[in-house]
Amino acid sequence: MKRKSLRFYFRIYRKILAQDIKSKMSYRADFIISTIGMIFTNVAGFISFWILFRRFPSINGWSYHEMLFLYGFSLVSLTPVQCLFDNNWSLRQYVYTGDFIKYCFRPINLFFYFQSEVFDIKGLGQFAFGIGTLVYSWNKIGLDFTPLILLKVIVFLITASLIMIALQNAAAATCFWIQNSFYVLDLVYRFRDYAKYPITIFNPVFKFIFTFVIPIAFIAYYPSLVILRPDDIPLLSWLSPLFGLVFFWLSYKFWMHGALKYNGTGS
Amino acid sequence: MANIIEIKNITKEFKVLNRREGLIGSFKDLFSRNYKTVRAVDNISMTVGQGEIVGYLGPNGAGKSTTIKMMTGVLEPTSGEILVGGNVPYKNRTKNAQEIGVVFGQRSQLWWALPLIESFKILRDIYQIPEQNYKSMLELYQSLVDIEPLLHKPVRQMSLGQRTLSDILAAFLHDPKIVFLDEPTIGLDVSMKSKIRTLIHALNKEKNTTVILTTHDMGDVDALCRRIVIIDKGKMLYDNDIEHLKGFFGSYRTLKIRVDGDLKEQSGVIQGELPDMKVSADDEWISVLVDEDKAKVIDVLGQIQKSRSVRDMKLEEISTEEVIRKIYEEGVK
Amino acid sequence: MKLKKYLTLTRAGIIEALQFRLSAFIMVVGNLSYLIVIYFLWKAIYASSGTDIVNGMTFNDTLIYLVLATALFGFMEMYTVWEMGRAIQSGKVVLDLIKPMDIRRYLFWCYSGNFVVNFFFTFLPTFIAVCIITNGAVPVGLNLVYFAVSVVMAILINYSIDFFTGTICVYTESIWGVNIMKQVIVLLLSGATIPLAFFPDGLRTVVEKLPFASIYNAPLTLLLDSSPNSDTLLETLGMQFIWCVSMTMISRLFWKVSLRKITVNGG
Repeated sequence: MKRKSLRFYFRIYRKILAQDIKSKMSYRADFIISTIGMIFTNVAGFISFWILFRRFPSINGWSYHEMLFLYGFSLVSLTPVQCLFDNNWSLRQYVYTGDFIKYCFRPINLFFYFQSEVFDIKGLGQFAFGIGTLVYSWNKIGLDFTPLILLKVIVFLITASLIMIALQNAAAATCFWIQNSFYVLDLVYRFRDYAKYPITIFNPVFKFIFTFVIPIAFIAYYPSLVILRPDDIPLLSWLSPLFGLVFFWLSYKFWMHGALKYNGTGS
Repeated sequence: MANIIEIKNITKEFKVLNRREGLIGSFKDLFSRNYKTVRAVDNISMTVGQGEIVGYLGPNGAGKSTTIKMMTGVLEPTSGEILVGGNVPYKNRTKNAQEIGVVFGQRSQLWWALPLIESFKILRDIYQIPEQNYKSMLELYQSLVDIEPLLHKPVRQMSLGQRTLSDILAAFLHDPKIVFLDEPTIGLDVSMKSKIRTLIHALNKEKNTTVILTTHDMGDVDALCRRIVIIDKGKMLYDNDIEHLKGFFGSYRTLKIRVDGDLKEQSGVIQGELPDMKVSADDEWISVLVDEDKAKVIDVLGQIQKSRSVRDMKLEEISTEEVIRKIYEEGVK
Repeated sequence: MKLKKYLTLTRAGIIEALQFRLSAFIMVVGNLSYLIVIYFLWKAIYASSGTDIVNGMTFNDTLIYLVLATALFGFMEMYTVWEMGRAIQSGKVVLDLIKPMDIRRYLFWCYSGNFVVNFFFTFLPTFIAVCIITNGAVPVGLNLVYFAVSVVMAILINYSIDFFTGTICVYTESIWGVNIMKQVIVLLLSGATIPLAFFPDGLRTVVEKLPFASIYNAPLTLLLDSSPNSDTLLETLGMQFIWCVSMTMISRLFWKVSLRKITVNGG
């Protein structure tokens, strides 16, 4: 049998997705309340942001609107992990009860099959907020708008989201080894909130940590530099797509390794 | 009959961390870990032909699910060879998965929120089932069970029985060569059990699908399997026809009688009259285990009736369950 | 060889603690990372403001406030909404209703042990550490008494809000959505993430009138004020008291009304 093509996986995903959304819509009250909850979260985020920064012309060399740009960028780049990889939150339950084995009998990629099961539609609200913020701050800063820049934005948004996905995969996969992995996931979840601040506010030690150990600086800061500071782009910004891919690949391997190891121990 | 499963001397060992006792023990554990090897499956060989239904039995923790996991490609054997449909399962899990179907009694593999028909459509795509085969399969299902009310019901709203039924249908959908059924009737009521047995039997007949069935319910075994394999503590105890199994322990039948007077007391008296047989009593019946190779039941009854009147009687075959319990307890001689 | 014996015990203790307390450990890491981020963030904000005192608070004040707010959060968060939501949805709530105790009190006292543990193991150490590090920036005097009184009322108000929110789960399946809305509102409007002193005047006047301000802002302001004038003191504690009583009554009433729905529908 031939190797399954990307198109094959794409078609399967689309089918599952469409069905999932249909069934979610049928629980209307739950859907509406969750969506409102998501909107609340975002509005509160904006209010906090506004309260903190409204009276300062610039923080650490970053203007209010540039900070807003970073914020919007982080919101958009965090959307895929919210929407597409939300089943990671349930992983530890499946592992704990032994139900995880049911994912192992299909003739498709295990990681894909597991993640495809859940699409978290609430994340789209965050996406809308993020796009709105990006457009608003884009105008206020007076950035150019050319197809090339748009392409850059898209490429860097994708790579930024890969980092967050990688962090979450790795955190979720710890449940193959330790029991109480919820706290690990929760920890990583908190990190995403820090991604919206420019890394320059930290001292060198934490700059290093947030760049290479817990690479949250790649979620908004380094990719945004390409747009915001086109004259002075550090090498790390250009390397961020590579970092995104590498981190994602590593987390995927780690996840799969954990899954196979877990199956190997029986139970 | 071509062999669909060929297993030669497979063994599976797990390393288990052997924790030392006490404070000093856990202190030592920190520096040198002491692993103990547990042999979950010990040198098992068997072949299964296309279209067979094999009952795979054994007490809990006997190594049944480990064997199944190896056959489905989830686990790699420590040693030995295993071929399923010509594939080495663990070397190519996804390729093997295309050829098999798996049902775990209480763990639905269907999409929880979706109506069954939508799950089927997704499975059609995942297994790349040709449209024509898919349609004829649905027609076949239609003729076997009343699936219409199930098709549009989300799995989470189904009863356990409906869910199991759906899971079995889903497992057969891509017309696999082998289907593994793990405790398919666990927790179901009598009528649902028989419905599911009938379905499995019909699908096996219709599609010539090999079925490997693990169960603790001897009703399943009696209704479906001609051949059974019994393992315990990782070792194979028995692999043969179910009829043959009963013959193993001679042709025993149990004669149950009721007489006047205290049953316990009477059974002692009868034991004295029939020293070669095992006589016991409970609150209702006196049981006499008769080996038909040595004496006829009717003669035994006659002898008992000589000195007392029998008010009621019945005759019981030794059940598969009893035979298997005997094997677990005593092994095969 | 006495020392060796003791060291072995220490070691065993550490092993045990690591095995059973991994989650606690990760939580500490999470809190530390949060504190690091807010430290640098506020440092940057103060640096760009050009003055040492913003809205009447020095950098030290703000930091002490936020550190203690985090410690208070760890101490007051009870996950009541989740617990009630799950109990209501699974029907387990019926069992709780049979108990010869009012459910509102029952849940509170079930959790009260955690208050004690969290007080001694998270809040107190944090508080002492802050006192030592800042070297006397936290006034020690009568304010500690006011603070203690204030915290007790804060706990009660917080619990009433949680219980009220949990009761909403009688009407909807969406525990996640309900809980996130509550959490977002409480954290923002109580001053847990940003001291209310930084809120713009108009917003601040409104927020100070709401019950949420009584949860974090009230106790922390009382703690940091070395010589409160009796008017502010009375006003703050009085306000808390009013909210304490009225929120208790409101949440009780709401539960009573909702109970009918449970008993009619059988949960």
